[in-house]
Amino acid sequence: MSPSLALWLSIVLGSCAQIFLKKGVDQKGADSKTGYARLLRSGWVWLWAFSFFFATALWLVALSKIELSYAFPLLSSGYVIVAVLSMVFLKERVSWMRWMAILVITLGVATTWGSK
Amino acid sequence: MESETLLHKPVPIDRQVSGLSTIALPWQLAALGAILLASTGHLVIKLGLVSAGHASLPASGLARMVETLFQPAVIGGLAIYGIGTLLWISAVARRNISFLYPLTALNYVIVSVGGKLWFGENISPARWAGIGIVVLGVALLQLSSGEDQ
Repeated sequence: MSPSLALWLSIVLGSCAQIFLKKGVDQKGADSKTGYARLLRSGWVWLWAFSFFFATALWLVALSKIELSYAFPLLSSGYVIVAVLSMVFLKERVSWMRWMAILVITLGVATTWGSK
Repeated sequence: MESETLLHKPVPIDRQVSGLSTIALPWQLAALGAILLASTGHLVIKLGLVSAGHASLPASGLARMVETLFQPAVIGGLAIYGIGTLLWISAVARRNISFLYPLTALNYVIVSVGGKLWFGENISPARWAGIGIVVLGVALLQLSSGEDQ
């Protein structure tokens, strides 16, 4: 697998993981009031755990070839991806103010790690 | 007397059933705790790698990697990271993910500043600027927080 493919798969999978986790904790019978033990019964939570694991593994594969100062700015695109996925799959409303905030944060992370 | 005391301090039902309830904190504390613990976990792992002279992992195979993973500081760092994940779940149960996830960018701010304080790592002017922009973005995010629910 090429390093940049591993990097992008890691970013997309890591973003999906957050959506899976939210699906899992929002499920009836697996909410915050019923405890961590019950979360283990949610397929979404397992999907989150596996996605998180593979995203981390892919990230390490990518980092063996790609410089951190290049990889981290790309990782920050995860904020945008999570926001888009949350609108589509969780019906979250993302206001223009929140989009502004997300873009500023993405820019900030890219600036922080794009520079050595 | 005894039954009266019991009445005043009922055991939460979820604790009785599962024996392991989620950490019931306000979302602000849960989210900030999660971010802080994730950052601390990273820094502690780094501490372990540096003190053992493993700062740059040579490509000398699995044995070296396993040896590195079982350093006390690395295991401790992973444990701290794990507790942070439990707090994160608690926060995600309470707020929209489009609001919470960008907050994790504070991780970079904490790791940068922590790296400077603990390891004497240099922070370039450009990186300070980036840190400032992230903090500004988080402030904007906070302004959008009233729109959910």
